[in-house]
Order: sequence, then C-alpha cells, then structure tokens
Amino acid sequence: MRDFKMSVPDYMQCAEDHQTLLVVVQPVGIVSEENFFRIYKRICSVSQISVRDSQRVLYIRYRHHYPPENNEWGDFQTHRKVVGLITITDCFSAKDWPQTFEKFHVQKEIYGSTLYDSRLFVFGLQGEIVEQPRTDVAFYPNYEDCQTVEKRIEDFIESLFIVLESKRLDRATDKSGDKIPLLCVPFEKKDFVGLDTDSRHYKKRCQGRMRKHVGDLCLQAGMLQDSLVHYHMSVELLRSVNDFLWLGAALEGLCSASVIYHYPGGTGGKSGARRFQGSALPAEAANRHRPGALTTNGINPDTSTEIGRAKNCLSPEDIIDKYKEAISYYSKYKNAGVIELEACIKAVRVLAIQKRSMEASEFLQNAVYINLRQLSEEEKIQRYSVLSELYELIGFHRKSAFFKRVAAMQCVAPSIAEPGWRACYKLLLETLPGYSLSLDPKDFSRGTHRGWAAVQMRLLHELVYASRRMGNPALSVRHLSFLLQTMLDFLSDQEKKDVTQSLENYTSKCPGTMEPIALPGGLTLPPVPFTKLPIVRHVKLLNLPASLRPHKMKSLLGQNVSTKSPFIYSPIIAHNRGEERNKKIDFQWVQGDVCEVQLMVYNPMPFELRVENMGLLTSGVEFESLPAALSLPAESGLYPVTLVGVPQTTGTITVNGYHTTVFGVFSDCLLDNLPGIKTSGSTVEVIPALPRLQISTSLPRSAHSLQPSSGDEISTNVSVQLYNGESQQLIIKLENIGMEPLEKLEVTSKVLTTKEKLYGDFLSWKLEETLAQFPLQPGKVATFTINIKVKLDFSCQENLLQDLSDDGISVSGFPLSSPFRQVVRPRVEGKPVNPPESNKAGDYSHVKVSGLGRWHLPRAVRASAKPFLKHSFESFSERKGCVYLKAGFSVVFVLGQCFGKQSQ
Amino acid sequence: MAVCIAVIAKENYPLYIRSTPTENELKFHYMVHTSLDVVDEKISAMGKALVDQRELYLGLLYPTEDYKVYGYVTNSKVKFVMVVDSSNTALRDNEIRSMFRKLHNSYTDVMCNPFYNPGDRIQSRWALLPVSDPVQVGPAFCVLLPSFCRTCLAILVAKMQPFGKQGRKGLFKL
Repeated sequence: MRDFKMSVPDYMQCAEDHQTLLVVVQPVGIVSEENFFRIYKRICSVSQISVRDSQRVLYIRYRHHYPPENNEWGDFQTHRKVVGLITITDCFSAKDWPQTFEKFHVQKEIYGSTLYDSRLFVFGLQGEIVEQPRTDVAFYPNYEDCQTVEKRIEDFIESLFIVLESKRLDRATDKSGDKIPLLCVPFEKKDFVGLDTDSRHYKKRCQGRMRKHVGDLCLQAGMLQDSLVHYHMSVELLRSVNDFLWLGAALEGLCSASVIYHYPGGTGGKSGARRFQGSALPAEAANRHRPGALTTNGINPDTSTEIGRAKNCLSPEDIIDKYKEAISYYSKYKNAGVIELEACIKAVRVLAIQKRSMEASEFLQNAVYINLRQLSEEEKIQRYSVLSELYELIGFHRKSAFFKRVAAMQCVAPSIAEPGWRACYKLLLETLPGYSLSLDPKDFSRGTHRGWAAVQMRLLHELVYASRRMGNPALSVRHLSFLLQTMLDFLSDQEKKDVTQSLENYTSKCPGTMEPIALPGGLTLPPVPFTKLPIVRHVKLLNLPASLRPHKMKSLLGQNVSTKSPFIYSPIIAHNRGEERNKKIDFQWVQGDVCEVQLMVYNPMPFELRVENMGLLTSGVEFESLPAALSLPAESGLYPVTLVGVPQTTGTITVNGYHTTVFGVFSDCLLDNLPGIKTSGSTVEVIPALPRLQISTSLPRSAHSLQPSSGDEISTNVSVQLYNGESQQLIIKLENIGMEPLEKLEVTSKVLTTKEKLYGDFLSWKLEETLAQFPLQPGKVATFTINIKVKLDFSCQENLLQDLSDDGISVSGFPLSSPFRQVVRPRVEGKPVNPPESNKAGDYSHVKVSGLGRWHLPRAVRASAKPFLKHSFESFSERKGCVYLKAGFSVVFVLGQCFGKQSQ
Repeated sequence: MAVCIAVIAKENYPLYIRSTPTENELKFHYMVHTSLDVVDEKISAMGKALVDQRELYLGLLYPTEDYKVYGYVTNSKVKFVMVVDSSNTALRDNEIRSMFRKLHNSYTDVMCNPFYNPGDRIQSRWALLPVSDPVQVGPAFCVLLPSFCRTCLAILVAKMQPFGKQGRKGLFKL
C-alpha cells in the first residue's frame, strides 16, 4: 500500500513549477560533496532556455535528490516526472571506466521508465576513451577545467525538448479512433482491473485524463494558451464522469497556467527575478500556437487578443475558487494527501501575492490538518518550518512565530537520538520578533513592560535551556540575566528563587560580563545590567566630613578677581550659569581624600540579596573606587548604601553610575538609563590635595563638650582643674599626618562668653618657637606650649562670686598675639544678690580648663593654614557646696584656603 | 461558556487575560496571541468601511480542534478575544455577541474607575471574571467592581487625597 502513496511532500513547490521539466543531478561513486555541489551549482544556473527556432521557453527544475515513488506520479502531473538524469563521477584510470559506466546505467534504471535522456559527466579521466566522441558522456580532466559544462547542459535540454515536443504532438493528435490508454496514479491501478473498457464512461475518462496530460505537456513545452484550452476540455470531460482525483488535477493545472500568466514574476519568491526577464515570452509563444488568437502582427498582440485570451485564462479570484475546488476533490482520497498539501501551499503562495491573508490562512489551516503518514522527526521539523514561513509570507507574524517555536521544540524532541540544540536555538531566536521580544534591555527600561509576559518568559526559558545544552554557558547567563532583569515584575516568588538559583549555577562556571555577545547569525546580544537588583532610588554625592572640608582662604586680592566681569553685579552672569548649576554641586572633593556617594537602594527579591563588588563608575577624573559588599534583607525598604572612592587627579568628576556583581553577573548600571531615579546632581569639582594636621594635648579629655558644635568648627575638649593662683603648662602636639607639607600656622584665641565679662587673662604662649619648626613635613611633629595661670581677684567684688555661680558666663575675644587685660565690669542687670553662703571662700574654686584634644585639620593648598586659638570660659556651677569654675578653651583652626592659582 | 477571556490593548499587549482551567494557562496565552494575527487582518480589511456602519463583532477568528476563538474590537481598537469549547454547541453566534456586549460594558465600567490608568493591566480580582460554572446556563459575567465603584464614587473621591498607593489597594479589598 505504501508503495502507491506519494509520501514526501515538496514544501517548496509553487504554481509555476508546473511548467518545469524535472532533472535529477546525482553523483555516482565517490565524489566529494564540495566538487559535486560546485558542478551542481553551475548546472542549476542553466534553468531556462529559449528553444531554437521558436519563442518558447523551457524551464528546468534541478534536484539532487528525488524519491522514486514520487516519480511514479509522473503521469498524474508531468512536472513530477524525472525526465532527465545527469550523473557526475570521478574516474582516474581507464581501468575503472567500464565499472563507472556500469554504475551510470544502474542509476538510470531507477528513473528509467520516465527518462527522456541522460548524461554522464566524468572528471579526471584522460586517454583514448576520452577521444571517442559520445553524446551521453562528457569527459573533463578536472573540476577546474570544465568550461563547457553549461554548453553541454543546454544541448542536453534541447534534446529533452525534442522528446517532449514529439510526445506532445504524438498525444495531442491522438484521435478518438485510436484506443486511448488510461493514465492512472499508482494507487488506482488495482481498481481498474476487470473494468469494461468499452463503455462510454470509461472512454470519456480516458479522454479526459489524456487531455489533462496533454495540457501538462503543453505547459511544460511553453505553450500556455494551448494548455489552458486542453485543461478546460479536460475539466468538462472529467466532470461528466465524476473522476474527482483527475478533475482536481485538471483544475489545478488550469490554476497553475493562469497563475503563470497573471504573475510572471513567480510566486515562489526567490526565483522571481530570474523568471521575470523571460516573462513576456510564454504569453507570446502561446499566442503563436493558438490559432484563434493569432493577430496580424503576431508579436505585439492588441487588446482583442487580450480579451480572447482572458476567456480561457482564469481571473485572479477564479484561481482561488478553482484551487479550493481542486483541494476539495483531492481531499476525498487519502492517498493523495501529499498532492493536497502541495496544492494548499501553492494556493497560499498565490494568495500571498494577491494580499488576501485571511483566505490564505484558511488554506494553511487546512494544510495543518492534512494527515500524512507517520512523519519522521526531520519531516515534522520541515513541515513546521514551512508553515511558519508561509504564515510569515501572509503577514501572520505571531502564527509564524508559534510554528517556528514548535519546529524548534521538534528539533530536540525526546525521541530524537541526537537532539539539535543548535538548530533549536537558532529557530527560537527567529521567533523573537513574532513575540515582540527584543533582547536589548534598553527597550524595556522605559516605563512598565507591556507585552505577552507569560509567553515571552516561556520563550526566554527555552532560550536559556537550549543555549545551555548547546554548551554555551555565556549565552545562558545572558538570557537568564535578561529574563531576571526584564520580567522581574511577572515572576512569582518561587520563580524568582528558581531563576536566581540556576543563574548562580551557571555563573559559577562562566561569570556574566558586560561584553556584547555576537551570535553567528549576525545578531548581537547586548549586555544586561541588573538595574533592578537592587533597585536604586536615590543617588546623592556627599560632602566631605566637616573636619576635612576645604575652606576657601580669603585672598588678598579679594573676591572680585575670580569673576571675569568688570561689574560688581550683573544679572546676566547669574542667568547664564543657571543651567550649569543644576548639575554641578557646590561643594568640592579633595584629591587623595576618601569621597562618598550615598545610594538609597531596595531589594525587590523575596530573599536576602548579596551584592558584591559594588562601586562607582566615574568619568573626568582618575578615581580609585573602593568597592563594597552588601547584603540586603528580603524585600527591604529603602536602605542607605555608601560607596566610597579616592580621586587621584584633579578636575571635574562626574558620577555616571555604579557597578555591581549580583549572582555572579557583573553589571554596569548607568544613572541615565535608570528609570525613576532621583539625583541631586552628579558632577563635582575635585581640588588638589591638601595637608592634614592632627592635634593632641597633654591634658585629659573632658567628658562633655563646652559648646555645641556648630558644624564648621571642629572641637574636642580637654579639661583641667586648677586652684586660684595655680599654673600649668599645656602642650599641644601638632602632627602632619597628610602627604603635603604644612607651611603656615596662625593662632588666635577666643574666650567664650555670653555676658561679655572677663575674669582675667589665663593663657599665654609664644608662637615663635613653634613657627620655627615650620614648614612641617609630612609625618613630623611640632609642639606648641600654652601656659595656663589662674589669677582671679576675689578681693572686692561680690559680684564676681555671683557671676561665677551663674551658669553661662564665658569670656571671649583674645587675639593671642596681643594679650590684653580688661577690667571686670560689675554686672548691671539684676538677678537678686543672693549668693549661697558657702561660696564666699576663693579657695574653694577651681579652674577647669577644657582644651581641644585632637584636631583633624582640613588641608589647605600650599598649607597656608591660619589657625587661631579659640579660648573659652564657660560656666560655674554649684555642686555639693563648692564652686567649680569651668573654664574651657578650644583651639579652633579656621582655615582659609587659596585654591591654587585660581585666585592669585 | 467561555474558557478564556482576554482584553488586548490597542498596541496588542494583554490588559487582562484569564482562563478557567488554570493549569494550562500558557496554552490559552498562545492561542490568544496567535489569534491577534487574524484580528489585525480583519481590522485592516474593515478599515475601509464607514465608521458608523462598522461591526464591532469580528466573528469566529479561527477554530482549533478543541476550541473556537471569537473576536470583538471596540472603536478605540481595544480587542476582546474569547475562547469557547468547541463541544459546546449551545453557544450560537447570538450568544457570543451578547457575551461580548457584556464584556464591553464591563470594560467600559473599568475605564470609568477613577483609579485605573488606561493602558495598565486590569488587576482587580473581580473585574471581567468569566464564570464558567457548567450548571449555569447562558453566559454570565460577574462584574462587581464597577458598580461598587459608582456607588462609592463620592466616598472614594473624598478619601482619595489622604490615601497613598497603599491606601488605594486597601480600599479595593473592602
């Protein structure tokens, strides 16, 4: 049964193939594939020939493989018949020649019943055999030296034409007087055994089938109009005897001929251009052979012949109707499944040209349901790919993607011994546009994702799996990162866990990079930065800590020099700078100092997220980023993260983004690409390195500070308790802990007071000794000695005690270089004079001196530091019957800075 | 009864898709997705017709072995796709039409919802739910949210200001 059934459909077939002659080109013996296809290609270039002495054109279809059982359907549709055979063989010695020739004959036997002619091309043989001229054998010394191949093929085709023409004439002139043989398809043969061959019915059947056959031959011989006439007659004959299979074939022939007439460009697509050049010929040629349509000039038919021709030729709408009819007849026969399938495909191609997608999809839908025998896996793949291509052709991209994906899955079906993961992956990639999925994460960064998430996620999973099985972990990592980055909102908690789990598995072998991956197909996979793991909401560049903040030193030349304008004030300048100010931040970073950027991040994952190697991406200045590792709790809220780094050069630094390593994938996240991020500017100026000074004293630290730190002054407090009249030395150690020499030191003192009262001069020093040690080289220590002497006069003033017992008395305003005394003025305003009894004696009172402990001095350019001593007395308080005089001083270095040459 | 209902935005991405046999949801996603080809084709063919004569109901998009897929397109090019079981012969064209009309009404109600941003996925658990109780005869859609919304609109609007996003969500769960 199987023998009678044509089993291998040609999915590439199109209507105009009906006018071609089928020639099989095959190698005999051992011929390298490369050589064979080189010759095959050259042979294929001879695909159409204008026949000598006529304007007809022959079209040739070459195949290097053709199943012989399909050949048996040659009577049904002659373009399925192998009419020519070309064999190619290697033969190097005359000894092998007889054997080679024998093989050629064996090969001929396979298609023997239908062959019109055959040729053998022998390569490599030299000697006397070559000398004998033979028509069916051509000898060539090697594969390079064979210029006459094309010529040979043309001759061969002409010989085919002669046979074809004789057959056509032979059949066409058959008159009903002779007995017409009954043509039949392989599976019909047994049905006609013992049938009455003399009945009218039988004769009509024979006639109808023969007409159809002649129509086929006419079409192949380039006589389009004749073929139309024959087909029409055949349709009438066959319809009257209900010979459905052949009626279908006749109708299809009619359609093919009409399609060839209407669409000379061809419906098959790729061969269109080639066919077009000869497009005018078939119509004219047919015209010549159709007596009714003959015109006076014969070559340029006028409109009357157009009308005459149009009578036989189907209109574009009719073509589809007739195809439908033909297919419905075919579908009555189970064994004609392949014919039906191919007819559907041909009709779809025609409809695609007519741009009637809806009807085309109906034909395709029908084709999907045509059940051939059990298909092999390879044939299934082919079938699905062709369906996909056809859907693409009619503009159904989604449907096309669907079938392509099915084909891809078929490539790796479990029943296949060697799954083709590479092919599967390639096909899957081709489905991407159909599912409107781009592999560039940038396309997803704007707003929310809008697409078929469920379907796209499935596709991405399949890509990941296919690339893994292909043995390309880098691809899997890329796809998986893409999945995680773009589909995060659609993943369930469990899926998030699974995806990250497998991503970590892959990256343990092959870490994810930021390099684009180029695929063989010309596609490039752009890198996928994890901008959502963690999500960054806010980026803020931080100022240096107050102690290290640079201060601009007032230059002698004054401020005016720095502005370029000669005017003291101009609104235009301010206006111009407005835009620049938006991005630039008004503080400075210092070269060589640790600078900080604060990010507010949160973790969208339902588990703890470990972010490693998180650092800053900057431009403009050489920047040594010090990466941090952090661990964010599950679904954390906003979480501050500080990224640090050290600028190595000066200039303007721009923070472009940050880099992370999450699940083994490196990502560079640029702030520009992050949606919904808040940033307060990302550009800051880096000024040259400044020295650093550390100050320590010999006195112990005090427990509490004397004054609230106001931000721009840094102070630590030391304290000492002294009785009246006692004196002590305070040694202040100045150490340069920076890298720059410290050049200048100025000391001023300030005795803090709230009531502007002085209680005497406690402090004295000599600055010269210290200044002698300057400039202070890095790592060197200088000392500075201060003498503290408590000298309070309790003799006459009651008010003093009163004042001492009062909180909040402090004295300020000692310029150190010019110490002065001031008479203590009595308090004017009135708290009632009511001193506690125990406060009378001066010997109870101590002086508690709080000094500044450790200074971390901001560095100044060229170290023109101008410290002055701030020196404060603060308060008295009464405790357990004794009066403590707490006098504190803090030495505050207020540093002026010259910013290099800028202000000079 | 419909086994799957989908609302597709003008730009052909799903706003709402729900199927009743939840175990093989992806199959319906594929089915609806591929049906869009046919919808697009029908719409482009329809484009030539006059606007007021336009039929919103697109009819059968394509039959598969087990299901039939029907389509409907609103004037703003929002598409409704409904998948019904082929074995259910009780559903004739008229029933399908009326199901689509109800769906359209529900969709309009969702659009009236002051908290809904056009173009977002329709998140509500209640909106547009296809009821597929086999006992129940005839199509029925449970559309609770919009009516709820209308009656409480005044209250909602009054309360809108103090609520953040969280508040809104909570409100819907009332």
